[in-house]
Amino acid sequence: MELNIPRTTTTPEVRFDAEHAVLAISGESYPENSFDFYAPVLEWLASSLVQLSGLRLEVSVSYMNSSSIKCMLDILDALGEAHAAGKTVEAVWNYETDNPRALDLAEEFRSEVSFPFSVNAIGG
Amino acid sequence: MTPDQLYGIREDFTREGVMICFNGAFVHSIIEEIGNALRRYLQDQEEKKSAALDVFSVYIEQAQNIRNYLARKHFTDASFANAIIVIARKGERYVVSSGNIVDAEDQPGLDARLTEITAADAPGLRKLFKERLRAETRDVNGGAGMGLIEIARRCAEPLTYAFHPVDDGHSFFCLTAVI
Repeated sequence: MELNIPRTTTTPEVRFDAEHAVLAISGESYPENSFDFYAPVLEWLASSLVQLSGLRLEVSVSYMNSSSIKCMLDILDALGEAHAAGKTVEAVWNYETDNPRALDLAEEFRSEVSFPFSVNAIGG
Repeated sequence: MTPDQLYGIREDFTREGVMICFNGAFVHSIIEEIGNALRRYLQDQEEKKSAALDVFSVYIEQAQNIRNYLARKHFTDASFANAIIVIARKGERYVVSSGNIVDAEDQPGLDARLTEITAADAPGLRKLFKERLRAETRDVNGGAGMGLIEIARRCAEPLTYAFHPVDDGHSFFCLTAVI
């Protein structure tokens, strides 16, 4: 159930902490092909969510291009399905206070999901 | 290129406040490097982080839209496969202009999308964004609509665009974003 993708200039770090059942995505996201980059994450989610009783997603991504935004929605949808199946699922979205567009985006994602989704301001 | 031509280009660039200009094949490594250079420039100008991110984001969406489109089209003629992007500073604003060849058959669709986007105000753009988020296919080449909406949302003025005829089957599509 390991998942550990290191950060690059154009792709975020994606790491699963099995002890706490936390999936953390942090950095920036504007890959050459977002769908190729996020496909392994979605595959991992599909197989792992079956085995886990719950999962917390922590996102600290200061910039996402439009195709990454679509992929993030796919990730949230996968969590939404697990939530509907009775799993304990939540998302924490960290944004920097000097980045208002990131707050907009967080609110837009929040309105797309039906599980607990908290938006958390951190000092920029 | 003659010294006179070179001097002329330089004069034009200086007058227009051009910071960065690239004309050639849009590959990922070049898009990434120009993006890094742009960020360093904005940092040196001590731009606010949110303003710098808006300029960077508009540049990335424009460049990646073009790259995805040209990768799909496989134009064999180098003058068709190459595109241009210019980032300039005009007073308090930044201007990102790009130009690339489009097939005549793609022009009406692109024109319709841009007509819709340029007519929308901020709440309208938010609504379009939400619709597109769910509606568009996962095909990376079909994603231009989302990218254009992202660009428009970060702009200070409505996008301007034009199609300059090149030959019977093609035109040169110019898009200008003011941030």
